[in-house]
Amino acid sequence: MAAPLADTTVVPGTEVVIDSVGKTFRRGGRRTVALAGTSLRVRAGELVCLLGPSGCGKSTLLRIIAGALPADEGTVTVGGRPVSGPSPDRGMLFQTPMLFPWLTTRSNILFGPRAQRAARLHERDDPELDAEAAALLDRVGLTGFGDAFPHELSGGMKHRAAFARALATRPSLLLMDEPFGALDAITREKMHEFLLDIWAQHRTTIIFVTHDIEEAILLGDRVAVMGGQPPGIGEVIDIPLGRPRSALDTDTEVFLNARRRIRGLLRS
Amino acid sequence: MSLWNTLPAEEEVLADPGEPADPISAADDNERADLHAYRQARRRARVRRFGIGALGLAALVVLWEVLALIISDPVFLPSVSQTVASFAHYFTHPYPSQGKPLWYDALTSLRRVLIGFAAGSAIGVALGAGMSSSRLVRHAIDPVIEVLRPLPPLAFIPLFIIWLGIGEMPKEVLILIGVAPVMAVTTVAALDEVPEDLRLCARTLGATPRYTMLRVQIRSALPGILTGMRISMAGAWTSIVAAELIAATSGLGYLIMQAGDYLNTALVFSGIISIAILGLGLDACLRGLLLLADPSRRR
Repeated sequence: MAAPLADTTVVPGTEVVIDSVGKTFRRGGRRTVALAGTSLRVRAGELVCLLGPSGCGKSTLLRIIAGALPADEGTVTVGGRPVSGPSPDRGMLFQTPMLFPWLTTRSNILFGPRAQRAARLHERDDPELDAEAAALLDRVGLTGFGDAFPHELSGGMKHRAAFARALATRPSLLLMDEPFGALDAITREKMHEFLLDIWAQHRTTIIFVTHDIEEAILLGDRVAVMGGQPPGIGEVIDIPLGRPRSALDTDTEVFLNARRRIRGLLRS
Repeated sequence: MSLWNTLPAEEEVLADPGEPADPISAADDNERADLHAYRQARRRARVRRFGIGALGLAALVVLWEVLALIISDPVFLPSVSQTVASFAHYFTHPYPSQGKPLWYDALTSLRRVLIGFAAGSAIGVALGAGMSSSRLVRHAIDPVIEVLRPLPPLAFIPLFIIWLGIGEMPKEVLILIGVAPVMAVTTVAALDEVPEDLRLCARTLGATPRYTMLRVQIRSALPGILTGMRISMAGAWTSIVAAELIAATSGLGYLIMQAGDYLNTALVFSGIISIAILGLGLDACLRGLLLLADPSRRR
């Protein structure tokens, strides 16, 4: 199902520098430190997983990178530019697909380009956008479903549509917040292969948040293990598995070693 | 308990549960390999449901006719044909005690409902939007609505007559006073329900805050607001007819009261049927808008 996209739609990934970022939430006089002194450098085109239990600050960090939350301390720069708010350069995928239920798959995919046109960020006309939507539908294996509404799609199809929508703004960085957490195991495995397949062609930088150790190892070039009190990034583990990877790699010695090591880190 | 409060529950009971919300999302992608075939199957299911509903109504009419034949007293229970004949006659001919044909009373009631409903909806939606966007406004207005909402609008009739006289105004305000709190509450609920992440999603796709507000938040709340309108529309008919029974010289409520006083039972039924037709018609319009706004209900 992987027809390559036209060259124009592929944007090289950018480097992400997270420098001593901290965040404290205040509610009713109580202060909760969600993240303290967290630093990480993600190379351009790299796929890094943020792994940790609930409350380890991984979603908070992702939202700070997305520009949805301001950091109290430290800075995040993406491609050399400091983050100050949400931007279509930084695409985001959520645990649920977050498709707009009143729009067809095609209109969902074109939401970004149309919103940007309304903000006069580009002047691409409708035929051009329709052609791009058709290419993206094809790319994510949803040819023939451009006119379907989200409720007419299966769980996996919804996630692929959300993926196409995120790619339509040509982001150089994709932020993924436990995107396949709600899927059944088999669909999930398909989505992993789908993600790696797309990433292999686009080489977009990806920061992938998960609490699933095996998912983190299977996908990531590196896995940043989060936790502790105050919460932050502990160790960053290299995953020396070759590419392309598939679910079959989960039985290899390299995989099992990485899993043992990470499990140990999460318990300590 | 007022009628207004019982209405949402009634709506839930009457709503057709149909198929589960997303019947085949768990199924394999292959099952929906063909979108066209999938939609046709759903359309066939819809026609079948409609047919079953029509059968239910037909059974009610048959039961009525059989009972009328057994009782054979047109003052107690006129037959279907007597009622239809009476409806057809008085639709264009004035009823002697009242001097106006049925269509005039139907139009009068319809006008009162539409004016009161439109004003009440506008005020309610505006209040709801204000309450959803500002904590201060919410905390200030919420108790006022909570005090007003359980009150039966009919209790205000004498007040409105004292304040506003016996013209059209008190009837329209009566409807407004029932519609506005329901619309405010449903609008707040609909706007609150829009997930934070849906807005963030729009922003990461390059939408400006203003574009996100209009095209995502308000658009996303629209089906909930339209559902609120369906609920308050039913309440609007209840209060207008009740008001016309008590204090009016025109309208379907007044016609029914007059016909009852003169023991013209067939005309009483004609008035009731007119209310049913108008109520169903307006609800069908709102339902149509709801289907336009929310594609997942088209099944």
